[in-house]
Amino acid sequence: MSDKLEAYLEEISHFLSGRAEREEILSEIRSHILEKAAEETGASGDDAVEKAIAAFGPARKVAERYVDDRPIIAPAYKRYLFRYTTMLFAFHAALTVMAVVFKEDFVIFPLLFMPKLGVIEALMYLPTAFLADLGIVTGILYFITQSGKDVRLPWPKFAVDLDEVKPPTKSFWLSRFATAVGAVIMLAITDFALYVFARHRTIFFANFDWDNLRPLFMPGPGRRISLIVIAMFAASTMALLIKLFTRSRWVDVASSVVSLGLIGLLLTQPFNDLFAVRIAENLLPKIRYAVEFLLLFIALMTTIELVKSIVIISRRKLARAR
Amino acid sequence: MTTNEPDIGSLETEMNRGFLHILVLALLEKDMYGYSMVKHIETLGYKVEENTLYPLLRRLEKNGWIASKWDLTEDRPRKFYSITAAGRTLRANLLDVWKTQNRVLEKTTKETSHV
Repeated sequence: MSDKLEAYLEEISHFLSGRAEREEILSEIRSHILEKAAEETGASGDDAVEKAIAAFGPARKVAERYVDDRPIIAPAYKRYLFRYTTMLFAFHAALTVMAVVFKEDFVIFPLLFMPKLGVIEALMYLPTAFLADLGIVTGILYFITQSGKDVRLPWPKFAVDLDEVKPPTKSFWLSRFATAVGAVIMLAITDFALYVFARHRTIFFANFDWDNLRPLFMPGPGRRISLIVIAMFAASTMALLIKLFTRSRWVDVASSVVSLGLIGLLLTQPFNDLFAVRIAENLLPKIRYAVEFLLLFIALMTTIELVKSIVIISRRKLARAR
Repeated sequence: MTTNEPDIGSLETEMNRGFLHILVLALLEKDMYGYSMVKHIETLGYKVEENTLYPLLRRLEKNGWIASKWDLTEDRPRKFYSITAAGRTLRANLLDVWKTQNRVLEKTTKETSHV
């Protein structure tokens, strides 16, 4: 028996694992290939078998023909995968923000336990939470699909349809013009911030008197925070300039990733001894919570934008593959 | 690919699915094995992919429309297939559907050719 034929059957067998009739299928294919090799080339040597195998097709493709057509998630429920994941993640993210801001544990027994989290822990936790939410929703939709029942899944009419990929409504030149205006404004802001930073080593001030500016932060942290904010301006400017030449969603993905990294850097900056001006003691914790809440909110919005871009890219790839 | 370009490949695959059911059920009035069916279909001026035929035979057998048995008397073992009574009923019903569709299409093309 040809080693090539056995290797080919072994590969098909691998893709058919778990099927009761696997041996019978392999016997049918073996019989066909040996028959074809003998009938069409008058021999049953390795070359003839190899040609018969090539005509039969790649092992995975062959195995897939035997698999039932029932999808993992029925087409009617596919939209609910992103709808429910988005809702669940939004709820999860809101609890995370509350756990950070209020420094409290949250328990929804037996479904959820959210321990009090620091800012960095929260940022590390959110992607894991998203994957867990996606897994839970996928599991539920899988079992509904496999049950074969016509389950009518609820979805509020007022909810925003995040999974809808709408074609751009603006004309080509209008959208390019808007991007160009945005790029020019961001370029001006970045240049101005760089100019101010070069002169004063900070871009944050406690007053608006141009001739007698008083820095808001202490020199060290002020310099670091200013540089991070200037980097955020520069990243936005760069993204807008690139978008003048390409509408690729990968630009949005890269821009979101850079923004998230820079927000993370901002959140790691120490708050103690930050201000160079006198601020009432009782106000300091409130300012700190407000800033952390704002940054986490921006991080959440950026994460949603990032997920949306990745979903749109994946959907386009799937549509092209069909 | 733009929507204007006809994707004959996938449409042909879809059309073949039903056609192959009728063709195989018609062929199996006489006992045949897989390879002989492929060759016979070729002589009729049609081509069936080998890796499509065997899963189709398996599905037909699973539904009780055809039956199979291994013949081990020759040098090479061969699995012979034959149509069952339920398969004959299915074939008659499928042929009726196909004839109706054919008639409708012929009428429609005749009507539109006069426009």
